[in-house]
Amino acid sequence: MTDLYDILETCLNEIEQGADVDTVLFRYPEFADELRPILETSAQLKAKAVPAPSAEVVRRNRAKVLQHASEMRERKAAPLRRRIWSPQLRSALAALMVVFLFLLSGTGLVRASSTTLPGDDLYPVKRSWESVQLFFTFNADARETLELEHENERLEEVTELFAMGRTADVDFSGYVTRQTGDEWLVSGIPVLLSSQTRLPDGPVRVGDAVRVRGQARDGGVAALRIDLLSSNPDLPEIENGNDSAAEQPENSNEQVEQESGSGSDNDAPPLLLTVVPTPTAKPQKVTLEGVVTSLQDKLIVVNGVVMDIKTAEVKGTPAVGAVAKAEGSFDASGIFIVTKIEFKSVAATVTPGSGGTNDNTVNTNDDSNNDDNSNTNNNTNDDGGGSGKNGNDSNGNSGGGG
Amino acid sequence: MSVFNEQGALHGLQNLDSQSIGAIYDQYFSEVHRYVRYRVDDDALAEDIASDVFVRLLEASQKRQGPQTNLRGWLIATASHAVNDHLRRRYRRPTEALTEFVPDGAPGVTAEVDLREQNRAVQSAYARLTAEQQDVLALRFGQGYSLEETALTMKRKVNAVKALQFRALAALQRLIGEVNDD
Repeated sequence: MTDLYDILETCLNEIEQGADVDTVLFRYPEFADELRPILETSAQLKAKAVPAPSAEVVRRNRAKVLQHASEMRERKAAPLRRRIWSPQLRSALAALMVVFLFLLSGTGLVRASSTTLPGDDLYPVKRSWESVQLFFTFNADARETLELEHENERLEEVTELFAMGRTADVDFSGYVTRQTGDEWLVSGIPVLLSSQTRLPDGPVRVGDAVRVRGQARDGGVAALRIDLLSSNPDLPEIENGNDSAAEQPENSNEQVEQESGSGSDNDAPPLLLTVVPTPTAKPQKVTLEGVVTSLQDKLIVVNGVVMDIKTAEVKGTPAVGAVAKAEGSFDASGIFIVTKIEFKSVAATVTPGSGGTNDNTVNTNDDSNNDDNSNTNNNTNDDGGGSGKNGNDSNGNSGGGG
Repeated sequence: MSVFNEQGALHGLQNLDSQSIGAIYDQYFSEVHRYVRYRVDDDALAEDIASDVFVRLLEASQKRQGPQTNLRGWLIATASHAVNDHLRRRYRRPTEALTEFVPDGAPGVTAEVDLREQNRAVQSAYARLTAEQQDVLALRFGQGYSLEETALTMKRKVNAVKALQFRALAALQRLIGEVNDD
């Protein structure tokens, strides 16, 4: 019986190539009677006319499917905003989340999540773990370091998404290092503006810290929203010109138009987004802070920004993983020329999957102070000897975000 | 025309990205519609079921049950289930399709039936096949898939599909004969 099935298949293929039924069956005289009606039936099936969908049908259903997707997106986004959490519920959930994640930290899950990217299934675990780490970091310096590391991680995720050619929604913060029309560089990441991009009310200049939300694709981030995190306090006052920049030894060619119109010919528009080379204007001095990710002679990379420390006054030891605070200005190619830099080495960097938060700089067990936000007094101790505490982390989260 | 980037589209699908979803629809709607229409022989119904397949894709992707690879295979397999679901619901009620088969006892029709009659006969007979038989025939002859592609889509071994297509064709041939018999 198996032969018959194989022979049928062979015949079908030959007929598909163009042979006719009789020729094909000629080779199998003993099966001809059985196969002939079957082959004829197959011909009838092939001849069956199937009307293709009209253009209208195609269009109509495409709209229907996309509409459904849009509704699903709304359903996804909305509940989180509309849900009303009572403070007790939030803290109970946070406590549960913390315990759960500590339990998980021994398993491979947190470790596995540590290399995930936006769009991956385990990515929320990674973010939740980061929140937990922050929640349990009591010391202000260590907390700041951790936040910088997280910021840096966001940048590395975007870069990785580019490398993999993946598209995903991203949300990261960094410093504006260059502005060329609609294409900016934020901590080394190309950010593309469009009519869809929501910008802050005030001007955004090179050196400002911004938060970018958008979609990473094709080597750039199509920005949907850019928020100003803080204008750099070291920027010269706009009205007085560049007096604080007078101490700059460098001469930078790439400038952002100043409202005071120093050296620029045209009426300065309120949004200073275009770069106009004005050799007479002095470079802007800015202060940047971040984690050193790469170190090569006199060039270092700090949170995505390439810095040149050749002529800098250095305090502390340059090292990968150290926190650096640098003063200087951006040159024409977007490299940050440092005048003064301070390195702070970090005793124990906290990474996911290392079995729990281990903050060596602090180990307190403090239940007494509990200001304003809705965190409960939660003293869970993991095996790493971490501290239970009531933190007031900057977002008012109870460490349960993700 | 750019090549359809399946991996990119699947990632975008996960985020419910319109561009990706549109790309998937554009790439596969005709094929899915053809498969469904082949099986159900009703324009309005085929349209409903075909679009439903894409909605199922959206829902599955959010529940992490969507395809990671071979999107086409997933879509056609889902179309098959959707059609089967429909047929199961329909056959709980008496249908006209069956009545066409009641031999009217009149003197037999000769071998020379006109083409339209013949098409209707094929369609009616086809509707009487089991879901699996319909499926294999729709894939092999409606879509024109190779034996291997059919096996992959049906999640069966190649030898099983060979046997299935034989039996399906034989059954169909018999059923057509019953319609045309004297």
